[in-house]
Amino acid sequence: MHVTQSLELFPDHKVTQVLFRDVKNAAELRQSAVEGKINGALINPTMLVHPFQVLVAANKAVHLDKIGKMKTRSLYSEVIFNLSPTNNISEAFKRFGISDGDDCVLVVLVQSTDESQLLEEITAKVDGRQVPVEEISSLSDPAKIKKLYKVSPLEEKCGTLLDAVVCRMATKDVM
Amino acid sequence: MAEESSMAAAELLRQAELLKQGAEARLYRAVFLGRPAVVKQRFPKRYRHPVLDERLTHRRTVQEVRSILRCRKAGISAPVVYFVDYTSHCIFLEEIVGSVTVRDHIASTQETHPNPERELEPLADGMGQILARMHDEDVIHGDLTTSNMLLRSGASDLVLIDFGLSYISALPEDKGVDLYVLEKAFLSTHPNTEALFDKLLKSYAAASKKSPAVIKKLDEVRLRGRKRSMVG
Amino acid sequence: MCSFMLVFQIIAKAAMTVVIGFEGSANKIGIGIIRDGEVLSNPRRTYITPPGQGFLPSETARHHRAVILTVLQEALEQAGLKPADVDCVAYTKGPGMGAPLVTVALVARTVAQLWGKPLLGVNHCIGHIEMGRLITHADNPTVLYVSGGNTQVIAYSERRYRIFGETIDIAVGNCLDRFARVIKISNDPSPGYNIEQMAKKGSQYVELPYTVKGMDVSFSGILSYIEEAAHKMLESGQCTAEDLCFSLQETLFSMLVEITERAMAHCGSQEVLIVGGVGCNLRLQEMMGVMCKERGAKLFATDERFCIDNGAMIAQAGWEMFRSGHVTELPDSWITQR
Repeated sequence: MHVTQSLELFPDHKVTQVLFRDVKNAAELRQSAVEGKINGALINPTMLVHPFQVLVAANKAVHLDKIGKMKTRSLYSEVIFNLSPTNNISEAFKRFGISDGDDCVLVVLVQSTDESQLLEEITAKVDGRQVPVEEISSLSDPAKIKKLYKVSPLEEKCGTLLDAVVCRMATKDVM
Repeated sequence: MAEESSMAAAELLRQAELLKQGAEARLYRAVFLGRPAVVKQRFPKRYRHPVLDERLTHRRTVQEVRSILRCRKAGISAPVVYFVDYTSHCIFLEEIVGSVTVRDHIASTQETHPNPERELEPLADGMGQILARMHDEDVIHGDLTTSNMLLRSGASDLVLIDFGLSYISALPEDKGVDLYVLEKAFLSTHPNTEALFDKLLKSYAAASKKSPAVIKKLDEVRLRGRKRSMVG
Repeated sequence: MCSFMLVFQIIAKAAMTVVIGFEGSANKIGIGIIRDGEVLSNPRRTYITPPGQGFLPSETARHHRAVILTVLQEALEQAGLKPADVDCVAYTKGPGMGAPLVTVALVARTVAQLWGKPLLGVNHCIGHIEMGRLITHADNPTVLYVSGGNTQVIAYSERRYRIFGETIDIAVGNCLDRFARVIKISNDPSPGYNIEQMAKKGSQYVELPYTVKGMDVSFSGILSYIEEAAHKMLESGQCTAEDLCFSLQETLFSMLVEITERAMAHCGSQEVLIVGGVGCNLRLQEMMGVMCKERGAKLFATDERFCIDNGAMIAQAGWEMFRSGHVTELPDSWITQR
């Protein structure tokens, strides 16, 4: 049910996305993440339009990691930061990280090809129901996303909401 | 470390299909994050001072993605930016699948249609309108040609590309020069299209509220070439 | 009249054709003699103004008037010819500065009538291009024409010269000359030459505006920027005058090479010919050479004898026109500033 994709630019890296609903231990998960005990990014799926958005964020994170230009302390916090339209780190975590009361979580792993056991390790920590990643689209909150990314109806005439979001993510460092 | 990432792009492009070798950039077709993409890679120009070259290349990469976003926000079609690598000067863009350049479209229409002028009128109208909207957003394209506009397959929808020389300006002078650059490229690429270009300008004038000042500047710039003084 | 011309042409084609050319559209006065592609003589004088000053039309015309007969005598003597040996008198009809053009045209008209020879008005730009082609044997080049009054990228397509790119405000040579005046660089032998020599001693690159628009360039922004900033930068010790010369050249010439390359890409051309006074700058030639090498193209350039305005170039363009049957009747022998 999870989706694993490799990055064309970094063939030795794979991005895995696992979606959970009816999550009961969000607070505990968040705490573990803060303490650095979880080797993955925990993302609030209501702010996502499509799994492609996560791929764009992960690719950029790996790139910045390789050139030593990450804005945050770890690859996973960088993935979360890259999803945000602004350059404010705490704002990014508030919007795109999980909150204690959340009942759905997207777990994102960025692994070298030989680290397959990580997935099971993290999955075991989540007290929830794993569902197909494609269900992201049914969880997402377009109104909130449009507001946060400031997407006007005019822009949607020349592309999808996903286009608008991805374009902002890719270019935010020079805006 | 920086070299490692530049290498990553170089490695990907080595296996990609080269679409176009331009004067300052190469265009490749590649699959990126699972999607059809076009990668524009600016390469160093060795005739330029390295400091100047690096600044220009970086600035043009930045200007390009900024202008794309500004256009898209205003509902003007331009390719989606997926990723920018400022170390290897690569921009990863959405591929406008199945599109043709306006240049090829005009050329083939002129060859195949008994009355190409009339056939192309709606296109000239569309071009005038999209440029008017772009200028109303203060985006100056900087390199307007019929090769830098795409027609989506089977649609009248125009997509603007190649914003490498673009910048933001509200000055009628800059907008007038933008149209002047297009006029010269248009008329030198497509013979006997004076009336068609006139149609484009009329449509531009009708679509933009700021057009009178721009058209006035265009007229001035046209004359300037012939009136240049050698006295200084 | 018609049959006379026909007979005349037949004779001209059989024998060698000698053309004398008069050039004086700016601050150089030059008279050159060409015999079927051979430069027999090409003397020249330059009106040099004090540092900080440009040349004005009336004073330039006065200079030309004062020396033109001496130069004419030199041209004939060096060529070892008498007026009777000349087949045609060519002169610059423009573009250029009005008063000097009139002065030189007047002498050319007078001489043509005195000697009983046909007259030919020649376009100054075509003169540069034809001379460049003669000297370098370039076949079908993209031409960068750069001087005090002109900045153009020209290519021959569909049986005529077409301008693909040009300056939308001042010429590159004008930008250099006016910069020289700002920091009081000598006009002897020319401001451009002195900037080139000083640039060789510059090392620090100072960023200046860089304006390319499609295949066109703009220099007025650079000039006003440097006019504004030069003295401040020099006084604060931020850079030297040599650094400014170096940076200005690097910036201006990069723009020129860039639009030349764009025009080549547009036309699919594999040759570049640089003409005009700024064209003898070796740094410009070097940069253009690097660009050409990367494209697998060939660069053609000439030295100061033929790059800088001269009489032979007018004679050469006149020779081409004369051989194809053109002459300018006296009532049509006007000049034009554009």
